[in-house]
Amino acid sequence: MELAVIGKSEFVTGFRLAGISKVYETTDIKATESVIKSVLEDRSVGILVMHNDDISNLPELLRKNLNESVQPTVVALGGSGAGSNLRDKIKQAVGVDLWK
Amino acid sequence: MAQQDVKPTRSELINLKKKIKLSESGHKLLKMKRDGLILEFFKILNEARNVRTELDAAFAKSTEKINLASAVNGMVAVRSTAFTAKESPEIQLSGHNIMGVVVPKISSTGVRKSLYERGYGIIGTNSYIDETADAYEDLVEKIITAAELETTMKRLLDEIEKTKRRVNALEFKVIPELIATMKFIRFALEEMERENTFRLKRVKARMRD
Repeated sequence: MELAVIGKSEFVTGFRLAGISKVYETTDIKATESVIKSVLEDRSVGILVMHNDDISNLPELLRKNLNESVQPTVVALGGSGAGSNLRDKIKQAVGVDLWK
Repeated sequence: MAQQDVKPTRSELINLKKKIKLSESGHKLLKMKRDGLILEFFKILNEARNVRTELDAAFAKSTEKINLASAVNGMVAVRSTAFTAKESPEIQLSGHNIMGVVVPKISSTGVRKSLYERGYGIIGTNSYIDETADAYEDLVEKIITAAELETTMKRLLDEIEKTKRRVNALEFKVIPELIATMKFIRFALEEMERENTFRLKRVKARMRD
């Protein structure tokens, strides 16, 4: 299995330098959406890396799909709310905000 | 179970008693499962939080390194170097079981590479690009660890929520309704018994007259 990275040019270049081949450079939200959909269906991708700002700009339904996806697991980097989807899940399941 | 749908008979009462016993033991088991899952969740919570902090720090460091490399070499040079990189890191997924929840174990190969394995020329590049590649390899390693822990947390949390819902449904809906139905049947049977006794007394009195 491989890692995939989706994002703007400045976000993905470093990952390309680390040898990751499934790097998708996108410029606008529409392109990002279609690339995400194809990556979610790609069974050879185990981990999907995205910038948190890009995730927060996505439509609600797609964002929910990404947050709940286990294969590929989505890892959000940067921005202010990197662990916020886990925090929400913890609050919902346990009833207390333990992600402090 | 609605009370009016039940026939107040002894066999129905026996069936209900069995159902209540089964529901209570199921409720007890599910409660134990929920507590066990929460314990497992607490075990990895701190680890996941630490990994997330390290991941954020590694990302900040990598961004700083790539900005520095771009400032020294120019963005075009960094991007063209990135395109020459070969040997993609591979990840292997295997599963292990925590109280019936299959969680992934992710291992990786080919993340850390030596200078010669990276694929770009040493003469045409400088140490800033090497440091950037190093920082990003470190970041990829952290991403893999975080992905494993966060997936485990997600699966555990889903299972905790599901189990909690089942426990609550049994505790506040199924068992109380079964008990209410059992009470209704008992009252009805007692009432029938009283009616029978009264009827017998009346018949006896008439026979005496």
